[in-house]
Amino acid sequence: MIALENLREKLGVAEPWVESRGTYWLNPGMATVRELAQAMNSAGARFVTITAYELPGDAGFRLEYHWDLQGCLLGVPFQIAGKSPESAKIESIYDLSEAADWIEREVHEGFAIEFTGREYEPLMLKPGDKPGVNLREAPAQDNPAPSLPGQKEVAQ
Amino acid sequence: MSYKIPMGPYHPGLEEPYKLDMICEGETVVDAELNIGFNFRGIEHLAETRNYVQVIALMERVCGICSFIHTLTLCQAMEKLTGLEAPPRAQYIRVIMAELERLHSHVLWAGIAAKLMGFKTMFMTCFALREKVMDVLQAISGNRVNYSMNHVGGVNRDIEDPIALVPMIDDLEREMMRTVIPIFTTSSTARSRCAGIGVLTHEKAVSCAVVGPTARASGIAQDLRRDAPYAAYAEMKFEVPVEQAGDVRARLFVRALEIIESCNILRQALAKMAPGEISSAGEKLVFATGTATSRVEAPRGEVLYSVTWKENSRNPARVHVRTPTYANMPAVRWMVRGARLADTPLIQASIDPCYSCTDR
Repeated sequence: MIALENLREKLGVAEPWVESRGTYWLNPGMATVRELAQAMNSAGARFVTITAYELPGDAGFRLEYHWDLQGCLLGVPFQIAGKSPESAKIESIYDLSEAADWIEREVHEGFAIEFTGREYEPLMLKPGDKPGVNLREAPAQDNPAPSLPGQKEVAQ
Repeated sequence: MSYKIPMGPYHPGLEEPYKLDMICEGETVVDAELNIGFNFRGIEHLAETRNYVQVIALMERVCGICSFIHTLTLCQAMEKLTGLEAPPRAQYIRVIMAELERLHSHVLWAGIAAKLMGFKTMFMTCFALREKVMDVLQAISGNRVNYSMNHVGGVNRDIEDPIALVPMIDDLEREMMRTVIPIFTTSSTARSRCAGIGVLTHEKAVSCAVVGPTARASGIAQDLRRDAPYAAYAEMKFEVPVEQAGDVRARLFVRALEIIESCNILRQALAKMAPGEISSAGEKLVFATGTATSRVEAPRGEVLYSVTWKENSRNPARVHVRTPTYANMPAVRWMVRGARLADTPLIQASIDPCYSCTDR
Protein backbone atom coordinates (compact mmCIF):
# COMPACT_ATOMS: atom_id res chain seq x y z
CA MET A 1 0.00 0.00 0.00
CA ILE A 2 1.35 3.38 -1.04
CA ALA A 3 -0.02 5.16 2.04
CA LEU A 4 1.79 2.77 4.34
CA GLU A 5 5.10 3.22 2.52
CA ASN A 6 4.70 7.01 2.61
CA LEU A 7 4.15 6.80 6.36
CA ARG A 8 7.27 4.70 6.82
CA GLU A 9 9.40 7.10 4.76
CA LYS A 10 8.03 10.09 6.61
CA LEU A 11 9.05 8.52 9.93
CA GLY A 12 12.49 7.62 8.56
CA VAL A 13 12.03 3.96 9.44
CA ALA A 14 14.11 1.48 7.45
CA GLU A 15 12.31 -1.73 8.38
CA PRO A 16 9.22 -2.53 6.31
CA TRP A 17 5.68 -2.98 7.56
CA VAL A 18 5.04 -6.58 8.55
CA GLU A 19 1.58 -8.09 8.25
CA SER A 20 0.78 -10.46 11.09
CA ARG A 21 -2.67 -11.93 11.81
CA GLY A 22 -4.44 -9.14 9.94
CA THR A 23 -2.56 -6.21 11.52
CA TYR A 24 0.24 -4.24 9.84
CA TRP A 25 3.10 -3.72 12.29
CA LEU A 26 5.92 -1.22 12.13
CA ASN A 27 8.98 -1.14 14.34
CA PRO A 28 9.30 2.61 14.98
CA GLY A 29 13.07 2.54 15.45
CA MET A 30 14.19 5.99 16.57
CA ALA A 31 10.85 7.67 15.78
CA THR A 32 9.01 8.99 18.82
CA VAL A 33 5.35 8.43 19.56
CA ARG A 34 4.63 12.10 18.90
CA GLU A 35 6.29 11.94 15.48
CA LEU A 36 4.21 8.88 14.78
CA ALA A 37 0.98 10.62 15.82
CA GLN A 38 1.81 13.61 13.59
CA ALA A 39 2.54 11.31 10.65
CA MET A 40 -0.72 9.42 11.21
CA ASN A 41 -2.68 12.68 11.38
CA SER A 42 -1.19 13.91 8.11
CA ALA A 43 -1.96 10.55 6.46
CA GLY A 44 -5.60 10.82 7.58
CA ALA A 45 -5.42 7.73 9.80
CA ARG A 46 -7.99 7.28 12.57
CA PHE A 47 -6.70 6.69 16.09
CA VAL A 48 -8.11 3.46 17.51
CA THR A 49 -6.54 2.62 20.86
CA ILE A 50 -3.46 1.90 22.95
CA THR A 51 -2.99 -1.57 24.40
CA ALA A 52 -0.63 -1.80 27.34
CA TYR A 53 1.26 -4.94 28.37
CA GLU A 54 3.33 -5.46 31.47
CA LEU A 55 6.57 -7.25 30.64
CA PRO A 56 8.08 -9.87 32.97
CA GLY A 57 10.39 -8.87 35.81
CA ASP A 58 11.72 -5.35 35.58
CA ALA A 59 11.56 -5.22 31.80
CA GLY A 60 8.92 -2.49 31.90
CA PHE A 61 5.95 -2.19 29.57
CA ARG A 62 5.04 -2.43 25.92
CA LEU A 63 2.46 -0.01 24.53
CA GLU A 64 0.88 -0.88 21.20
CA TYR A 65 -0.62 2.12 19.42
CA HIS A 66 -3.30 1.32 16.88
CA TRP A 67 -4.58 3.43 14.00
CA ASP A 68 -6.93 2.62 11.13
CA LEU A 69 -5.91 3.66 7.65
CA GLN A 70 -8.45 2.95 4.90
CA GLY A 71 -9.70 -0.16 6.71
CA CYS A 72 -6.19 -1.47 7.53
CA LEU A 73 -5.38 -1.85 11.21
CA LEU A 74 -1.90 -0.50 11.95
CA GLY A 75 0.07 -1.35 15.06
CA VAL A 76 3.21 0.37 16.34
CA PRO A 77 4.80 -0.90 19.56
CA PHE A 78 6.80 1.26 21.97
CA GLN A 79 8.85 -0.08 24.82
CA ILE A 80 9.01 1.54 28.25
CA ALA A 81 12.06 0.44 30.22
CA GLY A 82 11.43 -0.02 33.92
CA LYS A 83 8.40 0.05 36.17
CA SER A 84 9.38 2.63 38.76
CA PRO A 85 7.54 5.96 38.78
CA GLU A 86 10.72 7.63 37.43
CA SER A 87 11.07 5.30 34.46
CA ALA A 88 7.47 4.32 33.56
CA LYS A 89 6.94 7.35 31.31
CA ILE A 90 6.10 8.10 27.71
CA GLU A 91 5.09 11.28 25.90
CA SER A 92 1.39 12.01 25.67
CA ILE A 93 -0.20 12.40 22.22
CA TYR A 94 -3.41 13.85 23.61
CA ASP A 95 -2.72 17.32 22.19
CA LEU A 96 -2.10 15.79 18.73
CA SER A 97 -4.88 13.21 18.84
CA GLU A 98 -7.84 14.19 20.99
CA ALA A 99 -9.16 10.63 20.75
CA ALA A 100 -6.23 9.36 22.84
CA ASP A 101 -7.43 11.18 25.96
CA TRP A 102 -9.46 8.46 27.66
CA ILE A 103 -7.19 5.56 26.80
CA GLU A 104 -4.12 7.45 28.11
CA ARG A 105 -6.02 8.05 31.35
CA GLU A 106 -7.07 4.40 31.49
CA VAL A 107 -3.53 3.09 30.92
CA HIS A 108 -2.26 5.54 33.52
CA GLU A 109 -4.81 4.21 36.00
CA GLY A 110 -4.36 0.54 35.19
CA PHE A 111 -0.57 0.41 34.94
CA ALA A 112 0.67 3.62 36.62
CA ILE A 113 2.39 4.71 33.41
CA GLU A 114 2.91 8.45 33.21
CA PHE A 115 2.01 10.19 29.94
CA THR A 116 4.17 13.29 30.10
CA GLY A 117 3.00 16.69 28.94
CA ARG A 118 -0.59 16.40 30.03
CA GLU A 119 -2.73 16.76 33.11
CA TYR A 120 -5.00 14.06 34.44
CA GLU A 121 -8.56 14.56 35.47
CA PRO A 122 -9.84 12.41 38.36
CA LEU A 123 -9.72 8.65 38.03
CA MET A 124 -11.89 7.46 35.22
CA LEU A 125 -12.51 3.77 35.73
CA LYS A 126 -11.19 2.48 38.99
CA PRO A 127 -12.73 3.72 42.18
CA GLY A 128 -10.02 4.16 44.76
CA ASP A 129 -7.08 6.37 45.29
CA LYS A 130 -4.02 5.09 43.50
CA PRO A 131 -3.09 4.37 39.87
CA GLY A 132 -1.44 1.06 39.05
CA VAL A 133 -3.49 -1.28 41.21
CA ASN A 134 -5.76 -2.67 38.55
CA LEU A 135 -3.85 -4.38 35.74
CA ARG A 136 -0.31 -4.69 37.07
CA GLU A 137 0.94 -8.01 38.41
CA ALA A 138 1.84 -6.32 41.68
CA PRO A 139 0.47 -2.95 42.76
CA ALA A 140 2.74 -0.04 41.88
CA GLN A 141 5.03 0.67 44.82
CA ASP A 142 6.07 4.05 46.14
CA ASN A 143 3.72 5.75 43.76
CA PRO A 144 3.91 9.44 44.47
CA ALA A 145 0.54 10.16 42.89
CA PRO A 146 -1.59 12.23 45.22
CA SER A 147 -4.80 10.86 46.55
CA LEU A 148 -7.49 11.21 43.90
CA PRO A 149 -11.23 11.36 44.49
CA GLY A 150 -13.02 8.01 44.56
CA GLN A 151 -16.24 7.13 42.78
CA LYS A 152 -18.56 8.36 45.50
CA GLU A 153 -16.88 11.74 45.64
CA VAL A 154 -17.15 12.12 41.86
CA ALA A 155 -20.83 11.23 42.06
CA GLN A 156 -21.62 13.98 44.53
CA MET B 1 -23.55 33.65 36.07
CA SER B 2 -22.82 30.01 35.28
CA TYR B 3 -23.95 27.08 37.38
CA LYS B 4 -23.49 23.32 37.23
CA ILE B 5 -26.35 20.88 36.62
CA PRO B 6 -25.57 17.19 37.11
CA MET B 7 -27.24 14.53 35.03
CA GLY B 8 -26.71 11.15 36.63
CA PRO B 9 -25.26 8.91 37.75
CA TYR B 10 -28.91 7.85 38.16
CA HIS B 11 -31.34 9.70 35.94
CA PRO B 12 -34.55 8.77 34.08
CA GLY B 13 -32.84 9.64 30.79
CA LEU B 14 -29.99 7.18 31.33
CA GLU B 15 -30.18 3.47 30.71
CA GLU B 16 -27.12 2.86 32.85
CA PRO B 17 -25.20 4.98 35.35
CA TYR B 18 -22.76 7.66 34.29
CA LYS B 19 -22.55 11.33 35.08
CA LEU B 20 -22.66 14.37 32.86
CA ASP B 21 -21.99 17.62 34.69
CA MET B 22 -23.25 20.50 32.59
CA ILE B 23 -22.05 24.02 33.09
CA CYS B 24 -24.94 26.25 32.12
CA GLU B 25 -25.62 29.92 31.56
CA GLY B 26 -29.35 30.30 31.81
CA GLU B 27 -30.87 27.43 29.84
CA THR B 28 -27.81 27.06 27.61
CA VAL B 29 -25.08 24.48 28.19
CA VAL B 30 -21.66 26.08 27.75
CA ASP B 31 -19.52 23.06 28.66
CA ALA B 32 -19.78 19.59 30.14
CA GLU B 33 -17.68 17.09 32.07
CA LEU B 34 -18.11 13.34 31.82
CA ASN B 35 -17.61 10.87 34.63
CA ILE B 36 -17.71 7.15 33.96
CA GLY B 37 -16.66 4.09 35.94
CA PHE B 38 -19.88 3.32 37.79
CA ASN B 39 -20.12 -0.08 36.05
CA PHE B 40 -16.44 -0.96 36.35
CA ARG B 41 -16.09 -4.71 36.90
CA GLY B 42 -12.42 -5.31 36.12
CA ILE B 43 -13.31 -7.67 33.26
CA GLU B 44 -9.95 -7.32 31.48
CA HIS B 45 -8.18 -8.49 34.62
CA LEU B 46 -10.74 -11.26 35.22
CA ALA B 47 -10.16 -12.51 31.66
CA GLU B 48 -6.56 -13.31 32.57
CA THR B 49 -7.85 -15.76 35.16
CA ARG B 50 -10.19 -17.67 32.82
CA ASN B 51 -9.37 -20.48 30.39
CA TYR B 52 -10.19 -20.38 26.68
CA VAL B 53 -13.72 -21.70 27.22
CA GLN B 54 -14.56 -19.62 30.29
CA VAL B 55 -13.22 -16.40 28.80
CA ILE B 56 -15.86 -16.54 26.04
CA ALA B 57 -18.67 -16.74 28.62
CA LEU B 58 -17.06 -13.90 30.56
CA MET B 59 -16.64 -11.54 27.60
CA GLU B 60 -20.23 -12.25 26.51
CA ARG B 61 -21.18 -10.35 29.66
CA VAL B 62 -19.28 -7.16 28.82
CA CYS B 63 -22.51 -5.91 27.23
CA GLY B 64 -26.12 -7.06 27.37
CA ILE B 65 -27.14 -5.57 24.04
CA CYS B 66 -24.26 -6.66 21.83
CA SER B 67 -23.19 -9.81 23.67
CA PHE B 68 -22.87 -11.78 20.42
CA ILE B 69 -20.54 -9.18 18.92
CA HIS B 70 -18.18 -9.40 21.89
CA THR B 71 -17.81 -13.17 21.65
CA LEU B 72 -17.51 -12.94 17.86
CA THR B 73 -14.64 -10.46 18.11
CA LEU B 74 -12.94 -12.46 20.84
CA CYS B 75 -13.32 -15.77 18.98
CA GLN B 76 -12.01 -14.24 15.74
CA ALA B 77 -8.89 -13.09 17.62
CA MET B 78 -8.50 -16.51 19.26
CA GLU B 79 -8.97 -18.21 15.87
CA LYS B 80 -6.01 -16.20 14.56
CA LEU B 81 -3.91 -17.56 17.42
CA THR B 82 -5.02 -21.17 16.94
CA GLY B 83 -4.93 -21.15 13.14
CA LEU B 84 -8.55 -22.32 13.03
CA GLU B 85 -11.09 -20.91 10.62
CA ALA B 86 -14.83 -21.18 11.06
CA PRO B 87 -16.50 -23.19 8.24
CA PRO B 88 -18.55 -21.25 5.63
CA ARG B 89 -21.90 -22.16 7.20
CA ALA B 90 -20.73 -20.90 10.59
CA GLN B 91 -19.56 -17.65 8.94
CA TYR B 92 -23.08 -17.14 7.57
CA ILE B 93 -24.65 -17.90 10.93
CA ARG B 94 -22.34 -15.29 12.47
CA VAL B 95 -23.54 -12.71 9.94
CA ILE B 96 -27.19 -13.58 10.64
CA MET B 97 -26.75 -13.32 14.40
CA ALA B 98 -24.77 -10.08 14.12
CA GLU B 99 -27.44 -8.47 11.93
CA LEU B 100 -30.28 -9.65 14.17
CA GLU B 101 -28.40 -8.12 17.08
CA ARG B 102 -27.99 -4.87 15.14
CA LEU B 103 -31.75 -4.88 14.42
CA HIS B 104 -32.73 -5.34 18.04
CA SER B 105 -30.17 -2.78 19.20
CA HIS B 106 -31.29 -0.14 16.70
CA VAL B 107 -34.99 -0.74 17.35
CA LEU B 108 -34.38 -0.56 21.09
CA TRP B 109 -32.51 2.70 20.59
CA ALA B 110 -35.36 4.07 18.45
CA GLY B 111 -37.79 3.26 21.28
CA ILE B 112 -35.67 4.98 23.89
CA ALA B 113 -35.14 8.00 21.64
CA ALA B 114 -38.92 8.19 21.14
CA LYS B 115 -39.44 8.08 24.90
CA LEU B 116 -36.95 10.89 25.42
CA MET B 117 -38.74 12.93 22.77
CA GLY B 118 -41.96 12.50 24.74
CA PHE B 119 -43.34 10.20 22.04
CA LYS B 120 -44.43 7.26 24.16
CA THR B 121 -46.71 5.62 21.60
CA MET B 122 -43.69 5.21 19.34
CA PHE B 123 -41.70 3.82 22.28
CA MET B 124 -44.33 1.07 22.66
CA THR B 125 -44.38 0.40 18.90
CA CYS B 126 -40.59 0.04 18.77
CA PHE B 127 -40.46 -2.28 21.75
CA ALA B 128 -43.21 -4.45 20.26
CA LEU B 129 -41.11 -4.68 17.08
CA ARG B 130 -38.02 -5.50 19.06
CA GLU B 131 -39.85 -8.40 20.67
CA LYS B 132 -40.24 -9.98 17.23
CA VAL B 133 -36.48 -9.82 16.71
CA MET B 134 -35.84 -11.18 20.19
CA ASP B 135 -38.18 -14.09 19.42
CA VAL B 136 -36.05 -15.02 16.41
CA LEU B 137 -32.84 -14.75 18.41
CA GLN B 138 -34.38 -17.00 21.02
CA ALA B 139 -35.57 -19.47 18.39
CA ILE B 140 -32.02 -19.72 16.99
CA SER B 141 -29.98 -19.70 20.16
CA GLY B 142 -32.39 -20.61 22.96
CA ASN B 143 -31.59 -17.33 24.72
CA ARG B 144 -32.81 -13.76 24.56
CA VAL B 145 -29.68 -11.94 25.72
CA ASN B 146 -26.50 -13.96 26.12
CA TYR B 147 -26.74 -16.31 23.17
CA SER B 148 -23.72 -18.57 23.75
CA MET B 149 -23.44 -19.00 19.99
CA ASN B 150 -19.71 -18.59 19.37
CA HIS B 151 -16.78 -20.82 20.10
CA VAL B 152 -13.28 -20.86 18.70
CA GLY B 153 -13.59 -22.33 15.21
CA GLY B 154 -17.32 -22.00 14.68
CA VAL B 155 -20.73 -21.68 16.27
CA ASN B 156 -22.60 -23.82 18.79
CA ARG B 157 -25.99 -24.03 17.07
CA ASP B 158 -27.13 -24.42 13.50
CA ILE B 159 -30.04 -22.66 11.82
CA GLU B 160 -31.87 -25.68 10.51
CA ASP B 161 -34.52 -23.94 8.43
CA PRO B 162 -33.15 -20.54 7.36
CA ILE B 163 -35.94 -19.82 4.88
CA ALA B 164 -38.50 -20.00 7.72
CA LEU B 165 -36.96 -16.81 9.11
CA VAL B 166 -37.54 -14.77 5.95
CA PRO B 167 -41.23 -13.90 6.69
CA MET B 168 -40.13 -12.40 10.02
CA ILE B 169 -37.59 -10.22 8.25
CA ASP B 170 -40.24 -9.14 5.70
CA ASP B 171 -42.70 -8.38 8.48
CA LEU B 172 -40.17 -6.31 10.40
CA GLU B 173 -39.09 -4.36 7.35
CA ARG B 174 -42.72 -3.68 6.40
CA GLU B 175 -43.48 -2.36 9.86
CA MET B 176 -40.37 -0.15 9.83
CA MET B 177 -41.22 1.26 6.39
CA ARG B 178 -44.92 1.71 7.19
CA THR B 179 -44.77 3.10 10.74
CA VAL B 180 -41.45 3.85 12.37
CA ILE B 181 -39.41 5.49 9.60
CA PRO B 182 -42.24 7.78 8.28
CA ILE B 183 -43.05 9.00 11.78
CA PHE B 184 -39.42 9.61 12.72
CA THR B 185 -38.69 11.38 9.44
CA THR B 186 -41.86 13.39 8.86
CA SER B 187 -43.61 14.07 12.16
CA SER B 188 -43.28 17.59 13.50
CA THR B 189 -42.60 16.22 17.02
CA ALA B 190 -39.58 14.23 15.91
CA ARG B 191 -38.33 17.02 13.66
CA SER B 192 -38.61 19.72 16.30
CA ARG B 193 -36.81 17.60 18.90
CA CYS B 194 -34.02 16.31 16.63
CA ALA B 195 -33.22 18.67 13.74
CA GLY B 196 -30.22 20.92 14.29
CA ILE B 197 -29.71 19.61 17.83
CA GLY B 198 -26.54 18.06 19.27
CA VAL B 199 -24.47 18.77 16.18
CA LEU B 200 -21.11 17.01 15.87
CA THR B 201 -19.31 18.63 12.93
CA HIS B 202 -17.38 16.51 10.46
CA GLU B 203 -14.09 18.04 11.64
CA LYS B 204 -14.83 17.31 15.28
CA ALA B 205 -15.99 13.79 14.44
CA VAL B 206 -12.65 13.16 12.70
CA SER B 207 -10.70 14.68 15.58
CA CYS B 208 -12.57 12.62 18.22
CA ALA B 209 -12.23 9.48 16.01
CA VAL B 210 -15.87 8.56 16.59
CA VAL B 211 -17.18 5.32 15.09
CA GLY B 212 -20.34 3.64 13.87
CA PRO B 213 -23.61 5.49 13.24
CA THR B 214 -22.27 8.51 15.17
CA ALA B 215 -19.44 8.86 12.63
CA ARG B 216 -21.64 8.09 9.63
CA ALA B 217 -24.14 10.77 10.71
CA SER B 218 -21.28 13.31 10.58
CA GLY B 219 -20.27 12.44 7.03
CA ILE B 220 -17.60 9.80 7.76
CA ALA B 221 -18.20 6.84 5.46
CA GLN B 222 -16.62 4.06 7.51
CA ASP B 223 -18.01 0.60 8.17
CA LEU B 224 -15.80 -2.40 8.91
CA ARG B 225 -18.31 -4.75 7.29
CA ARG B 226 -17.38 -3.12 3.98
CA ASP B 227 -13.86 -1.74 4.67
CA ALA B 228 -12.38 -4.77 6.44
CA PRO B 229 -14.89 -7.59 5.92
CA TYR B 230 -15.03 -10.47 8.40
CA ALA B 231 -17.26 -13.58 8.69
CA ALA B 232 -19.22 -13.75 5.39
CA TYR B 233 -19.67 -10.00 4.87
CA ALA B 234 -17.45 -9.99 1.77
CA GLU B 235 -20.22 -11.94 0.02
CA MET B 236 -23.02 -9.52 1.00
CA LYS B 237 -24.17 -6.56 -1.05
CA PHE B 238 -25.29 -3.59 1.00
CA GLU B 239 -25.11 0.17 1.23
CA VAL B 240 -23.48 2.16 4.02
CA PRO B 241 -25.86 5.01 4.87
CA VAL B 242 -24.08 8.33 5.46
CA GLU B 243 -25.62 11.66 6.48
CA GLN B 244 -23.86 15.02 6.58
CA ALA B 245 -25.79 17.12 9.12
CA GLY B 246 -24.22 15.57 12.25
CA ASP B 247 -27.29 16.31 14.40
CA VAL B 248 -29.58 13.98 16.35
CA ARG B 249 -31.86 13.67 13.33
CA ALA B 250 -28.95 12.51 11.13
CA ARG B 251 -28.04 9.85 13.69
CA LEU B 252 -31.67 8.77 13.72
CA PHE B 253 -31.79 8.59 9.89
CA VAL B 254 -28.57 6.57 9.72
CA ARG B 255 -29.90 3.97 12.14
CA ALA B 256 -33.28 3.81 10.41
CA LEU B 257 -31.58 3.19 7.06
CA GLU B 258 -29.27 0.64 8.64
CA ILE B 259 -32.31 -1.32 9.81
CA ILE B 260 -33.40 -1.62 6.18
CA GLU B 261 -29.85 -2.63 5.13
CA SER B 262 -29.73 -5.22 7.91
CA CYS B 263 -32.97 -6.76 6.62
CA ASN B 264 -31.39 -6.81 3.17
CA ILE B 265 -28.22 -8.54 4.47
CA LEU B 266 -30.29 -11.03 6.47
CA ARG B 267 -32.29 -12.06 3.39
CA GLN B 268 -29.07 -12.59 1.40
CA ALA B 269 -27.40 -14.57 4.18
CA LEU B 270 -30.43 -16.78 4.75
CA ALA B 271 -30.75 -17.49 1.02
CA LYS B 272 -27.04 -18.17 0.40
CA MET B 273 -26.24 -20.28 3.46
CA ALA B 274 -24.03 -23.15 2.39
CA PRO B 275 -24.67 -26.64 3.77
CA GLY B 276 -21.97 -28.23 5.86
CA GLU B 277 -20.31 -28.22 9.24
CA ILE B 278 -20.71 -25.42 11.76
CA SER B 279 -17.42 -25.98 13.57
CA SER B 280 -13.84 -26.80 12.72
CA ALA B 281 -12.63 -27.07 16.30
CA GLY B 282 -10.97 -30.28 17.47
CA GLU B 283 -10.99 -31.56 21.03
CA LYS B 284 -8.03 -29.53 22.24
CA LEU B 285 -6.94 -26.10 21.11
CA VAL B 286 -3.30 -25.14 20.76
CA PHE B 287 -2.57 -21.42 20.96
CA ALA B 288 0.46 -19.77 19.40
CA THR B 289 2.42 -17.36 21.55
CA GLY B 290 1.72 -13.79 20.58
CA THR B 291 -0.97 -11.22 20.07
CA ALA B 292 -3.93 -11.21 17.70
CA THR B 293 -6.27 -8.32 17.14
CA SER B 294 -9.78 -8.50 15.75
CA ARG B 295 -12.32 -5.84 14.87
CA VAL B 296 -16.06 -6.07 14.26
CA GLU B 297 -18.70 -3.49 13.35
CA ALA B 298 -21.08 -3.62 16.33
CA PRO B 299 -24.44 -1.78 16.28
CA ARG B 300 -22.76 1.22 17.93
CA GLY B 301 -19.53 1.04 15.90
CA GLU B 302 -16.14 -0.61 15.89
CA VAL B 303 -15.24 -3.11 18.65
CA LEU B 304 -11.59 -4.12 18.97
CA TYR B 305 -10.12 -7.02 20.93
CA SER B 306 -6.39 -7.51 21.42
CA VAL B 307 -5.75 -10.99 22.79
CA THR B 308 -2.33 -12.20 23.92
CA TRP B 309 -1.40 -15.78 24.69
CA LYS B 310 1.69 -17.41 26.15
CA GLU B 311 2.87 -20.85 25.09
CA ASN B 312 1.28 -23.84 26.87
CA SER B 313 -1.17 -21.63 28.72
CA ARG B 314 -4.87 -22.27 28.99
CA ASN B 315 -5.56 -18.65 29.95
CA PRO B 316 -5.01 -15.49 27.92
CA ALA B 317 -2.13 -13.35 29.17
CA ARG B 318 -4.00 -10.16 28.27
CA VAL B 319 -7.36 -9.24 26.77
CA HIS B 320 -7.85 -5.60 25.85
CA VAL B 321 -11.26 -4.39 24.72
CA ARG B 322 -11.95 -1.08 22.98
CA THR B 323 -15.71 -0.61 22.66
CA PRO B 324 -17.54 1.86 20.40
CA THR B 325 -19.04 3.94 23.20
CA TYR B 326 -15.53 4.41 24.58
CA ALA B 327 -14.67 6.15 21.30
CA ASN B 328 -17.97 8.02 20.95
CA MET B 329 -18.62 9.18 24.49
CA PRO B 330 -16.01 12.00 24.68
CA ALA B 331 -17.72 13.62 21.68
CA VAL B 332 -20.87 14.19 23.76
CA ARG B 333 -19.07 17.11 25.40
CA TRP B 334 -18.94 18.85 22.01
CA MET B 335 -22.51 17.86 21.10
CA VAL B 336 -24.07 19.44 24.17
CA ARG B 337 -22.12 22.71 23.97
CA GLY B 338 -24.57 25.43 23.04
CA ALA B 339 -27.56 23.13 23.43
CA ARG B 340 -30.61 23.81 25.55
CA LEU B 341 -30.50 21.98 28.86
CA ALA B 342 -33.80 20.22 28.07
CA ASP B 343 -32.28 18.67 24.93
CA THR B 344 -29.28 17.10 26.62
CA PRO B 345 -30.90 13.76 27.63
CA LEU B 346 -31.79 13.15 23.99
CA ILE B 347 -28.40 14.37 22.73
CA GLN B 348 -26.41 12.03 24.96
CA ALA B 349 -28.78 9.19 24.07
CA SER B 350 -28.28 9.85 20.35
CA ILE B 351 -24.91 8.09 20.37
CA ASP B 352 -26.71 5.02 21.80
CA PRO B 353 -24.30 4.86 24.72
CA CYS B 354 -23.46 1.67 26.55
CA TYR B 355 -21.66 2.21 29.84
CA SER B 356 -21.31 -1.47 30.69
CA CYS B 357 -19.18 -1.71 27.53
CA THR B 358 -17.33 1.50 28.30
CA ASP B 359 -16.47 0.66 31.89
CA ARG B 360 -15.94 -3.09 31.48
